[in-house]
Amino acid sequence: MDPETFRRDLGAWLDDNANELAPPYEGAGSMDEQMAHYSHVKRSLYDAGFGRYGWPESVDGLGGSPLLRAMVGEEINLRGLCDPNPWTMIEVLVPTVIGFARPEVAAALVPPFLRGDEMWCQGFSEPDAGSDLASLSCRAAKTDGGWLVSGQKIWTSFIQYAQRCVLLTRTGEPNSAHRGITALLVDVDSPGITYSPIETMHGRLDFAEVHYDEVFVPTERLIGEENGGWQVAMDILPYERSTTFWHRGALLHRRLSDLVAQLVANGDRSDTAARALGHAFQSLVAFRSRSRDTQHRLADGQQLGVETSIDKILITSAEQQLFGAVRDLLGGVVEFDDDIDAAMWRTDYLYSKAAPIYGGTAEIQRNIVARRLLDLGPES
Amino acid sequence: MSDTVDAEDLALLATGFEAAMAEETRPAETDQALFDLGWAELLSAAPSQGAATAFRALGTTNSAAGLLDDVVANALGIGISPQTCVVFPAPHQAEAPAHPQGDAMVVDGLVSARAEGATTAVLAVEANGDVSINSIDAGLLQGPVAGGVDPGRAYRRLSVEIPADALVPVPTSGSWESAVAAARTALAHQLLGGARWMLAEARQHAVDRAQFGRPVASFQAIRHKLAESLVQIEGAASVAEACLDDPDPLLAALAKSLAGQAAATTATHAQQVLAGIGFTAEHQFHYWLKRMLVVDTLFGSASSLPAEIGHHLLSRGTVPRLIQL
Repeated sequence: MDPETFRRDLGAWLDDNANELAPPYEGAGSMDEQMAHYSHVKRSLYDAGFGRYGWPESVDGLGGSPLLRAMVGEEINLRGLCDPNPWTMIEVLVPTVIGFARPEVAAALVPPFLRGDEMWCQGFSEPDAGSDLASLSCRAAKTDGGWLVSGQKIWTSFIQYAQRCVLLTRTGEPNSAHRGITALLVDVDSPGITYSPIETMHGRLDFAEVHYDEVFVPTERLIGEENGGWQVAMDILPYERSTTFWHRGALLHRRLSDLVAQLVANGDRSDTAARALGHAFQSLVAFRSRSRDTQHRLADGQQLGVETSIDKILITSAEQQLFGAVRDLLGGVVEFDDDIDAAMWRTDYLYSKAAPIYGGTAEIQRNIVARRLLDLGPES
Repeated sequence: MSDTVDAEDLALLATGFEAAMAEETRPAETDQALFDLGWAELLSAAPSQGAATAFRALGTTNSAAGLLDDVVANALGIGISPQTCVVFPAPHQAEAPAHPQGDAMVVDGLVSARAEGATTAVLAVEANGDVSINSIDAGLLQGPVAGGVDPGRAYRRLSVEIPADALVPVPTSGSWESAVAAARTALAHQLLGGARWMLAEARQHAVDRAQFGRPVASFQAIRHKLAESLVQIEGAASVAEACLDDPDPLLAALAKSLAGQAAATTATHAQQVLAGIGFTAEHQFHYWLKRMLVVDTLFGSASSLPAEIGHHLLSRGTVPRLIQL
């Protein structure tokens, strides 16, 4: 499928089905509404075929370049059809699952995710293993036919809606660091898994604290090699920083357009507004251009790696500049107003504070750039 | 696009240009050497790629060669030569540098070092919202040899009045707007070439310099400054590269603004990492810093361009989707 033709056909289809695909709720909606609509949009795109391109046929895709997936997510976010976070979970997790899980497991489990019938989650962070991911301690002990997992994870997104979890566990000695980690694909309804939601500062129950109490995971759910989980995690992170970010960049583009429209409606053509918009736009274009290069490297079959930390730092700046400008230029809307538009601005403003924290903090990203890209040697 | 020079030839030319620029000669001699190496043919065959290649080398070597004159003239469709200079807009601006006042033409702009030896100057005049391109005797532009911050004297300020009848209209095939875009793209590459040089110097110093019994590169405060510099350089470089496939003037404005910002950030951080020798003349750093200050002001700066870009967004009322997959 030629990307240009695909983009044109996709745009036409989205135009024709605009009403059918628009969120049925005002504003951000509740989590339940948002997830139900996500499933609906995902399913509609699957049925129309667009949602299957860019994924291999082995998992019920229609093949073609990963650029096609980037285009679908871009259009969805530009049109505001679906919240970007559930939308991109598949981009974060599934390329690595296809690459590292047993082919029959991927073939059986990925298609419902692709159809929008399922959600998956990512069990990486622990209370004592945030930035220092390699110190995680959630234990997987060998048992007949598989593992018994016991321990705690935290900040797991969407587990209350999820059927599967890509889980990092400790299978080596407690101090085996990155050498003794194993990745498993776990059914969330397995006996022994309990979770309680954690509210974010923007008032959503996005996250959960998850307890695993002797949860049985069969051998075939191994992702990668036993004690090879670090490699799996390192494979996931660049995906998180490529297609997922491209999608989020499209959301930022839409919100920048909304801000410009609002300023025009307010009659604000001041130099102050212009300067803040210019800074926000140039940061966004720098990110978008860098991310475009990354999408093309991915599509060309190149292995993405530590250089995607640059993409992460750039999108963080773009997001913070944009929503910082929103707060500065809209004169109290973020702080005081309660209409639906204001609530959306406030949500986005507060969520932008997560950008330098999730997926490897701003400091971790700079450590990676310094060590791996600038070759500055070890830190003292 | 007319950019049809293959990568291997481009790399060879880049090496040749850099060697010619690195020789410590007067700018006029460097200009001549670059023309001898095929600069004019390159610019004609591949205007944006060719300019980017040469301007990266300008940034790396800190040469004061007058190639901006050629990029602007070429974009306007005027034949280039080492004896033809261009009058550039005033600092931080991109408007045509001359406007009529009675029988005189008031010129407020900048010229490169080439103006000293040039025979002909290209002068853009703005009158009633229209820009016209003219040629004048370059002798009319002579003034005091440049002072200013930059000891390399790559550009000097020009503030003169000349008789209106000294202007001869020149036929052009490119607009002033397209010339501004070409200049901005080229200058973005120069600023980034310079920023990469400053970052490389600071990086090497950080690795070599030991304090408290270990290389200063091992301190996180130093590491993060250098990392931040690289991130800004790579973001800006990606946009400056995108300009080579897309002549959109807005994209060129963004590239110049981002490159100016990246260069300023890198200069600040590199100087801090170089520390003592970054402030004294013991290290060459200050030459690059001073050139960066000057080049940043050409055709709109990192401080003036964001407002220009933002006003553009406010007047169109939407945000164009630049950079396609």
